[in-house]
Amino acid sequence: MTLTHLRPTLGVVAILLVACAAAIHGPGVRAAEPTAKEQELLAVLRSDAPEADKAITCKYLAVYGSSAAVADLAKLLGNPHLASWARIPLEVIPGPEADSALRAAAGSLGGRALVGVINSIGVRGDATAVPMLEGRLKDGDAEVAAAAAAALGRIGTPAAGKALAAALGTATDRDEVAQACVVCAEKLAAAGDAAGAIVLCDAVRKADVSEQRRAEASRGAVLARGAEGVPLVVELLRSPAPRLFNMGLFTARELGTVPGRNEALAAAADRMLIDEVAALRRDGNEVRGAMVIAALADRGGAGASAAASADPIRKALIETARTGPRAMRMASVAALGRVGDASVVGPLLEVAATADCAPAVRQALAALGDPEADAEIRRRLAGANETVLPMLVGIVGDRRIAAVAEIVPLVEHRSADVRSAALEALGAVVDLANLDVLIRAIAPSAPGGGSDAERAIATKALTEASIRMEDREACAAKLTGALAAAAPPQRLVLLDTLGEVGGTRALEALAAAAASSDEAQQDAATRLLGKWMTADAAPVLLGLSQPDAPPRYRTRALRGYLRIARQFVLPDAERAAMCRRALAAATEEVDRKAVLEILKRYPGMATLEVAREAAKVPGLEADATAVVREIEQKIAKPAT
Amino acid sequence: MHVVRHLPEPKRPRGTGASRRGFLRRALAAGGAAAVAPVVIPSSALGLDGAVPPSERIIVGGIGIGRRGEYDLGCFLEQPDVQFVAVCDVKQERRSAVKQIVDKHHGTPDCATYREADELLGRDDIDAVLIATGPNWHGAMAMAAAKAGKDVYCEKPCTKNIVESLILLDTMRRCGTIFQAGTQRRNLPHFAFACELARTGRLGTMKRVYAHPAGMTAKTSGWLPEEPAPDPAVADWDAYLGPAAWRPFNSGTLKDGFNFEKGGGLVGGGVLEWGSHCVDLCQWAVNDCPPPVEYDPPRDGEIVTRYADGVELVFREKGWIPLGSCPVRFEGDAGWVEAGDSGKLVLSSPALLAGRTVEEIGGYPATFHVRDFLDCVRTRSQPKGNAEAAARAHIACHAANIAIFLGRTVRFDNATNRFLDDDEANRLRSEALREPWRI
Repeated sequence: MTLTHLRPTLGVVAILLVACAAAIHGPGVRAAEPTAKEQELLAVLRSDAPEADKAITCKYLAVYGSSAAVADLAKLLGNPHLASWARIPLEVIPGPEADSALRAAAGSLGGRALVGVINSIGVRGDATAVPMLEGRLKDGDAEVAAAAAAALGRIGTPAAGKALAAALGTATDRDEVAQACVVCAEKLAAAGDAAGAIVLCDAVRKADVSEQRRAEASRGAVLARGAEGVPLVVELLRSPAPRLFNMGLFTARELGTVPGRNEALAAAADRMLIDEVAALRRDGNEVRGAMVIAALADRGGAGASAAASADPIRKALIETARTGPRAMRMASVAALGRVGDASVVGPLLEVAATADCAPAVRQALAALGDPEADAEIRRRLAGANETVLPMLVGIVGDRRIAAVAEIVPLVEHRSADVRSAALEALGAVVDLANLDVLIRAIAPSAPGGGSDAERAIATKALTEASIRMEDREACAAKLTGALAAAAPPQRLVLLDTLGEVGGTRALEALAAAAASSDEAQQDAATRLLGKWMTADAAPVLLGLSQPDAPPRYRTRALRGYLRIARQFVLPDAERAAMCRRALAAATEEVDRKAVLEILKRYPGMATLEVAREAAKVPGLEADATAVVREIEQKIAKPAT
Repeated sequence: MHVVRHLPEPKRPRGTGASRRGFLRRALAAGGAAAVAPVVIPSSALGLDGAVPPSERIIVGGIGIGRRGEYDLGCFLEQPDVQFVAVCDVKQERRSAVKQIVDKHHGTPDCATYREADELLGRDDIDAVLIATGPNWHGAMAMAAAKAGKDVYCEKPCTKNIVESLILLDTMRRCGTIFQAGTQRRNLPHFAFACELARTGRLGTMKRVYAHPAGMTAKTSGWLPEEPAPDPAVADWDAYLGPAAWRPFNSGTLKDGFNFEKGGGLVGGGVLEWGSHCVDLCQWAVNDCPPPVEYDPPRDGEIVTRYADGVELVFREKGWIPLGSCPVRFEGDAGWVEAGDSGKLVLSSPALLAGRTVEEIGGYPATFHVRDFLDCVRTRSQPKGNAEAAARAHIACHAANIAIFLGRTVRFDNATNRFLDDDEANRLRSEALREPWRI
């Protein structure tokens, strides 16, 4: 294989992949004897090939190299250009040869090259390198000492931990060692040595290191201790240092879930947080109290077995929502929306009635995940007073509760707030059979004697409900049926709604309105037809652009027709035919030119023919001829 | 070159006499010394709606703000509780451009500019960072920031390989960091709705989830011909290379930061670039379970992978309903839903909308994702694109890329995070970082 200049192209990779294909025999551990492929790659390393070739060869040796490649790769560890490439395979080639080579290199290299080698030793987790690394912790080069600490952390054996703990009090850069201690502790804990992990983390907690490192060690100490670590979380949550408090919150969220689910620990953590909420409330620390409540909610909302521990959490949250300081009340209300069930509907409504957090209560009730909450809310509609009723009705809409029978009568309620809430909710829940309620509500003589504001709400609700209906033709039939008896402003709303609904029946209704003698209807209908979303509006619009149509909106109709020809997916012949018809109907130069633009945009035999016809239209000859030429050029077959 | 340095040198770890640049190397490995935690008072808890006093603002710095980063930056600047105070970039041109945007927005000349990230990360006053460097730096810089005590919003793809994904997750947990991957579709209502349909069983028992990979090729960043290197103050090539294996300066490579060393070299490409969004959504649809355990190589424009419960995650090039870029499709035995960047959904039955309309579910704005991050910085909750979710989605993409590269089915054990009986696949799980960098 000859590797020439390497570029970041698929071509280069392809060359190498072809060359490497023979090496891919399928899964399995590579044999100690180099394969032909490996020998080929090694030949590149041993040659005077450019550095670029040797570099990419290293990457392939990471996949296909064996212990046979180690010596050649090790020779590159002192090369500032290629050392980083050589360490790619040296970090992953299995076997003790790579470990030995890296340790040997650590004895002879210095500076950046040595740092790299130590990093790789750490990645490989070479436990036999611990004594050497321990010595390097005192290296005069701070970078080397830091690398040695990190490597010891990654190796993570008791011996590595011991070396790090000893250095914690003496190292030049204790923060580096502290970080490594915590990493090492994690590895010890994962290997079952919780006691070793605790010793290391506690050493860091007491050391003269940064607050961030102490926070990390505190988390490690908690997780390694399990249930016995819960008081340490309390200590963190009560720390005046914000960073430690934050870590307390973070760790509190993890307890019982990381690593793996531990029900007893999870329950203990819940209890601890509930107690903390009470303590912070007593202390009047409402900001921290709100943050602890958020953590409690995160715990209650997560995990498959949360239900078992949810009751005491809910109880604590309800109590705080009722009587806590404002920030904690708000946080509790939001938390109940996440961890509550149907049983919290009543308490939350009480909170809404007596406190200043009604919007938060509505959000929480809308978010409740328990489907039983729907029935509870419906049940409460009947006996609700005028203060609570608008909110309850709003929640019916928010949750899409099928309580149409209960909501419809409220459209005529004596309270304007209730009427408005009912109209809004119906937009979200009304069915086709009751759509008439909203149609009536847009009339000047609406049942509730509604104001303009209520009619505006009803109009929005009618649109929302109409476009939600599964059977849009049936919906359009209802709306169309109401047109005849509707007062003029109501009629225009119905036309707008039909425009949103779409479909055959709505199109017919709009066509009729556009052709009527009522100018307001003509205006509305042609406007709506001009933005119709299906091509079946084209014949209607063409008809409305003809001389026998109402004159005022002929141009608008023609432009709507052109929009369909320009924007919609159409068969070539049909689009060309539309252009031909538009050309005949157009009375203004700007529209004729718009036709030419469409022809140009869709070059083909059919549009070419129309363009040639246009070239004969007086006044359009030059422009159309130019379009003819352009289409001809585009559709011309390349010479063979 | 003019580098603004309004602020005093950042605090150094006690007892060190190392250079400023050395700080980040250590930060990558061991952490900074910032003494003030990013604790911000939850203004919502205090009932402070609307105007946010300066003392309650979240102080943010940006690292590597290019074209995509400018979009993210705009989302941050829109938030009334954000004070953007600093930008770091290896390119002087970008430092100046971003400073101009930020200063204009805040109406002050105070946005500091840094060439070296250790200076920005060493600032005690910064609570959170926006990382929008090229993918080469995403993971390593995110971890450096976390170790310096910053919360992190990091553009995707966040990692270059499987092991980096795992270390990223461990680091964010260890440091107590609020991490948000730039997987903003998690906070777009229509995608969220589609995922919810799948998660809550309304599509029935899940059978298959589909992601658009935008290409199924393995790519390498290679080694372009050497050109005279610019003054590091103008463009710092060594810092740009960062953890990537060494290569000589080349202006083309410098310009191609968006693609440079994506996926680490031999593996990468569209599966990672687009998959970190689409696969992430598929992961969400299956309750963010561990990634698939089996990955077939590409066949007929599809990569079929299987979760432990038999549900398939399929990377599919074609066959999508035209709903815009980044489409996903979720199929259960009782229905299906498909969604894309147009903001629209197509469903097997209107009944799945449960009374809503596609229009009211809506698709934008993308600033929701930034808002989600900032809210979590305040509450310390986990945002939607948290480190665990990101790690799992990225691992699925990396494993699929390994199947592409090896041209055979690979099986992944989520308990050990290793491939089963496949030494070659396991060697592709990680890649050495250039000295002196480490994670």
